[in-house]
Amino acid sequence: MKILRALGLTFLLTLMFAAASSADEAALRQTVTKFATAKGFPAIEAVVRELGATGDPAVEKVLNALSEGNLYVRKSDDGVFIGKEGGATASLLDPLSGEPAGEALKAEITKIRVNNSLRGTIRDVLGTLTLGSDDPKVRLAAATTMFKSPDADAIPALDAAIAKETEASVKARMQDARASAVLVSDLPEAEKLAAIELLGKRGDRDTLSLLTGFQANAQGALKNAAGAAVEHINSTLALWQTGQNVWYGISLGSVLLLAAIGLAITFGVMGVINMAHGEMVMLGAYTTFVVQEVIRTHAPALFDWSLAIALPLAFLVAGGVGLAIERGIIRFLYGRPLETLLATWGVSLILQQAVRTIFGPTNREVGNPSWMSGAFDLGQLAITWNRLWILVFALCVFAVLLYVMKRTSWGLQMRAVTANRRMAASMGIRTPWVDALTFALGSGIAGIAGVALSQIDNVSPNLGQGYIIDSFMVVVFGGVGNLWGTLVGAMSLGILNKFLEPYAGAVLGKILVLVLIILFIQKRPRGLFALKGRAVEA
Amino acid sequence: MSKSNTILYLDGVSVSFDGFRAINNLSLVLDKGEMRAIIGPNGAGKTTMMDIVTGKTRPDSGEVFFDGEIDLTRHDEAEIAMMGIGRKFQKPTVFESHSIEDNLVLSLKGPRSIFPALFHRRSFEETRRIDEILATTRLEAKRHDLAANLSHGQKQWLEIGMLLAQDPKLLLVDEPVAGMTDAETEETARLLKEIAKTRSVVVVEHDMHFVRELGVKVTCLHEGSVLSEGSLDFVSADERVVEVYLGR
Amino acid sequence: MTGRFFAAGADRRIAITIAILLAVAIVVPILNIAVPPASAFHVPAYIVALVGKYLCYALLALALDLVWGYCGILSLGHGAFFALGGYAMGMYLMRQIGERGVYGNPLLPDFMVFLNWKELPWFWHGFDHFWFAALMVMLVPGLLAFIFGWFAFRSRVTGVYLSIITQAMTYALLLAFFRNDMGFGGNNGLTDFKDILGFNVQANTTRSALFAASAIALALGVFITWRIIGSKYGKLLMAVRDAESRTRFLGWRAENVKLFAFTVSAVMAGVAGALYVPQVGIINPGEFDPANSIEVVVWTAVGGRGTLVGPIIGALLVNGGKSWFTGAFPEFWLFALGGLFVAVTLFLPKGIVGMWDQWQNSRRERRAAATPEQGIPPIVEVAMPVKQKPAAKSSPTPLDGGEPQPAE
Repeated sequence: MKILRALGLTFLLTLMFAAASSADEAALRQTVTKFATAKGFPAIEAVVRELGATGDPAVEKVLNALSEGNLYVRKSDDGVFIGKEGGATASLLDPLSGEPAGEALKAEITKIRVNNSLRGTIRDVLGTLTLGSDDPKVRLAAATTMFKSPDADAIPALDAAIAKETEASVKARMQDARASAVLVSDLPEAEKLAAIELLGKRGDRDTLSLLTGFQANAQGALKNAAGAAVEHINSTLALWQTGQNVWYGISLGSVLLLAAIGLAITFGVMGVINMAHGEMVMLGAYTTFVVQEVIRTHAPALFDWSLAIALPLAFLVAGGVGLAIERGIIRFLYGRPLETLLATWGVSLILQQAVRTIFGPTNREVGNPSWMSGAFDLGQLAITWNRLWILVFALCVFAVLLYVMKRTSWGLQMRAVTANRRMAASMGIRTPWVDALTFALGSGIAGIAGVALSQIDNVSPNLGQGYIIDSFMVVVFGGVGNLWGTLVGAMSLGILNKFLEPYAGAVLGKILVLVLIILFIQKRPRGLFALKGRAVEA
Repeated sequence: MSKSNTILYLDGVSVSFDGFRAINNLSLVLDKGEMRAIIGPNGAGKTTMMDIVTGKTRPDSGEVFFDGEIDLTRHDEAEIAMMGIGRKFQKPTVFESHSIEDNLVLSLKGPRSIFPALFHRRSFEETRRIDEILATTRLEAKRHDLAANLSHGQKQWLEIGMLLAQDPKLLLVDEPVAGMTDAETEETARLLKEIAKTRSVVVVEHDMHFVRELGVKVTCLHEGSVLSEGSLDFVSADERVVEVYLGR
Repeated sequence: MTGRFFAAGADRRIAITIAILLAVAIVVPILNIAVPPASAFHVPAYIVALVGKYLCYALLALALDLVWGYCGILSLGHGAFFALGGYAMGMYLMRQIGERGVYGNPLLPDFMVFLNWKELPWFWHGFDHFWFAALMVMLVPGLLAFIFGWFAFRSRVTGVYLSIITQAMTYALLLAFFRNDMGFGGNNGLTDFKDILGFNVQANTTRSALFAASAIALALGVFITWRIIGSKYGKLLMAVRDAESRTRFLGWRAENVKLFAFTVSAVMAGVAGALYVPQVGIINPGEFDPANSIEVVVWTAVGGRGTLVGPIIGALLVNGGKSWFTGAFPEFWLFALGGLFVAVTLFLPKGIVGMWDQWQNSRRERRAAATPEQGIPPIVEVAMPVKQKPAAKSSPTPLDGGEPQPAE
C-alpha cells in the first residue's frame, strides 16, 4: 500500500514536471463527486489522497474548502459545491473553478464534516502538491510544511523536487524536509546518519524538537549522532538567542534614542528641563494620525507616503508648540531649572488634556505603510521591517543632528550661547532667538520621533508619559551635553534591558535598570561621557 | 626639604582636566606663621591650587601636606576644614538669607554633627566670640541685617569674619579686595596683617598695590607651576614675570 | 533685636496655626457626632472625610516643604514615602479583616487566597499588631529615604538630577507594586478594610477620630518642623540650600545635613499616608504615580515654600479646588492644574504666604517712610526668603563641573 502510494506520487510528480500538470478536468470532477458518497472519515481521506495524487493545482481550492468546513453536498443530486452560508440560504461555488453555481436553501445541502486528523492529511497533501508550484515562495512553504510533519512516503517526491529545484534556499529547505522524512523511514542507518548531520547543521528550534524526539527512540550510533547534533544545535541556538537579544536591545535602544535625542538638545545642550518633552512626541504621533485620516478619505493611493508627509508636519507642529512654550514660559525661567521643571510639567498636563478633549481618551489607529509591515529572517533572527526602519531612522536623525550641531553656524551659535551667554550676546549673537530656535529644534525632533513611534506604540494621550522618565535616564546616563553619550546611553540601556528581561521578567528588568542607573548616577553624577573641568566654586 | 615646621607643603603636584594641565609639577612651601601672596595671570592655576589644598580637587600626582604631617589628599573638604584650613572664595560667598550674626554662629568652631546642632544653645563664650569678630570686621551695627543686604566689600569682610570664627591655622584668601574702594582695600590689608600675627595666610590677589601693602614674600604662578618667588620687588623685576604679564 | 521681633511675628503665626488645628481636632468631631443633623452647626460626615483627607495631604506637603523650601531638594518622589506609609497601615488593616474576607480564610488576605498562596509571606508577619504597623509606617519610608539619600547626597547629586532620580525611584516602586507576586495585592492594592483598633472604619465615630488624629498629627508636624528650622541645625539647613560648598569649607558635612532632613521628611510623609489610608479605605499602586508626587509640589508652591503655613494653605486650597472642579467641570481639571503649575512658577514664585509677607513688608516700609523715626527696624522678610537668581546671572548650563545648583 505504502509503496503503491509512493509510486503514485512519483508518477504524478513526473507528470507534473513534464508540464502535463493539468489532468483531465472531467476526471477531476469525477473524483470530487466521490465526496458525496464517501461515508466516514477514512473514506473521505481516501478521496483526499486520490485528489492529491492527481497533482493538479486545481484541487487546492476544494481541499482548502474541505479543510475549512465549507464543502457541501446537495442532497438532490449529490453535487459537491463550495458553500458560503448567509442566513437561511447558502451561495454555492463550483469546487474546481470557484465560479458561482447558484444558491440553495440550507436544508437542501449537507456539510462534509472533517476532523483534525483529516485536516492534517489535507495539509500534507496540499504541501506535497505545492512542491511543484511555479512560485518559489509556495514551494518553500511546502517544503517547510513537509519538514514539520515528516512522511517517509514523501521522500521520492522530494527527491524529484530537489533534482528540479533551482533556487538554493528552497533547495536547502527541501533537503531538510527530506532528511526529516528519512529519519522516520526504514532506510539504512548510513542514510539516517547523513540526515542527522544535515539537520544538525540547520540547527533551529524545530530541528531540535525533531532530533530530540528521534534521539529518544533511537539506538546505538544513531542515538549518539542525534545526541551530538542536539548538543550542537543547542549551542547554536544559544548563540542566536544572544544575537536575538542584542537585536531586540538595539531596537529598544533606537526607540529610546528617538525619544531622548530631542531631550539631548533641550536638556543636554540648553540645560532646560522640559517635562513636556514626552507630549511633543505624542503630538508627532497624533500628527501622523491626522495625516493618515486625511489620506484615507481623500487620496488612499498616497497611503504608503503618509509617513513621509507626516514627518515635516510633525516637525513643524511640535517645533511650533515648543517655540510657543519657550517664548511664553521658559524664557522667564532661565537659570531656575526646578521651576522650569514644574512649569513644563504643567504644560504637559495641558497638552495631554487638550489632545484628550480633541481626539478622545482612547487609542487611535495609525496604520503601517506596506514597506513598514512584515518581517524577514536573517539566519534565525526574525527582523520586522518597522523595527529595522526605526533603527535606520533614529541613526539618520542622530547623524543629521550631529551635523547641525558640529558643522553649521547655527550649531556653533547654539554651543556658544550655552557655553557663555553674555559673551555670546556681546559677540552679536541674538541669544533669545538662538534659545527659542534651539528649543524648537529639540521639540521638533521629538515630534518626528513621534511619527516613528506611532508605528510601534499605541497612539493615546498618555503616549508621552511612558517615555519621559526613560528619556531623562538615557540623557543623564549618557552624559549631559554630549550627543554621542546619548547614542551610547540609549543603546546600552536598551541592550541591558533586553538581557535582564529573560532572567527577571519585563517589569522587574525595568526596575533593575532604573536601580542600576540610580546607582550609576551616584558613582558618576555627570554621566558616562561627562565633561570634566576646573571645579567651579560656589 | 623638610616638612617639619611647615604649615603647607606641596611637592610635585600635577592635575589635568581633559588633557589640559591646570597644575604642572607645582611645589610650594609655607612656613608656620607665614603670610604669602600669590600672583599670576588668569589661568595660572591659583584657584585650582586652592581647590587641591581644600580637598575639592584631587591631584593626579604629588604630595600635599598640612602642618608637616597630614596628607591632605586623603581627606575631603569638611575634614580639611575641621583640621584648621579656612578658605575665602573669589566671589564672596555668605549665607544670604541669614543675618550676619547667624552667619557667624554657623561658622564658629565647635562640633560639626547634626544632633548637637539640633539641640544647640548658644553659650556665653560663643556670644563673646561673635562680638569680638563683629568688632574686628566692623560689622557690629549690621549684626541683625540679612547678609544679602550687605555691600560687596562688607560681604568680603563677613566672609573673612566667618573664617576667623572657624579659628583656622591656615587661611586661604582668594582675591579679598576685588571690587573694593581704595579705603576698603587699605582696611582689608590692615585686617589681614592683623590676622597673620597669629595664623598662616595665603593671599591670592591681582592688585599689586594691595600686595605691596601686605609687604610679604610673593610667589608668581604661571601655567600651573612656580615662575618666580621672592620679595615683590624681586619678582616684579624678573624678566619672565614681566614677559608673562605683558605678553609678547 | 529686630531679628527677634520678626521671629516673634512668624512664631505667633505658627502658634496660631497649631492652636487652630488642635481646636479643629476637637470641635469638628463634636459638631459631627453630638450636634443633630438638623442643626445649622452640624458638620456632615462627608465633609469630615473630605477635610480629613486634605489634612493628610497638608502633612505631606509640609514634609515636602522641609526638604524643598528649607533645603532646596526638590523631591519628585515624596508620594512614594506617603504610599509606603499607607501600605504599612493597609497591611495592618488587612490583617484585621481576619475571617471576614470573601474567602473566609483565617490566615491569608483574600488576594493571596485568590493567587493560591499557601502561607503568609515573611514581610507580612507582625502586621497583626498595631504597634508594629505604626512602627513600620515610620521605619519603612525613613529607611528608604535614608538609604536613597545616603547614596544620592554623598555623591553630590543635586538640583534637577536629584529631582529626576527621585522621580525614577517612585516610578520603579510603582512598577514593582503593580506586580502580583510582590505580595501587596498587585493592581488592586489593599482594600475592604473592616476594623482599626477594634473599631469599624466605616463608623462615624471612627471617622471623626481619624479626622482628629490627622489634625493632631499635622499640628505635631508643624511643631516639629518649627523646632527643627528654628534650631542651629535649621539655619544650617538653609545655609546648605543657599551655599552648599561654603558649608563644606566651614567643616559641615552637607550630605548629612540633607540626609537628616530628607529622612525626617520621609517619616512625616509616611505618617500622612498611614492616616490617609483608613480614611479613604484603599491603597493601591496608583499612589506611587510620579504625577501624584509632582502634584504635591504644586500644593507647596501655591501656598509658599519656605514657610510653615504655606504648604498647609496650598494643600487645602488646591485640593478643595480639585474637589469642586472634578464635580463641576471634570474635563477641565487638568487644564486648571496645568495652568496652576505655570501660573505659580511665573507669577507667584513665593506662593500665597510669601506674597502676603512681601506685601505686608512693603506696607510697613511705606509707613516707616511716612514716619521717619528712630528705632523702626529695617525691613526683613518674615518668610524664609527663597533665593531668586535673576535670569541673566547664571547661564543655564549643566556643563560646569560640581557647581551647586541654585536653591530654587
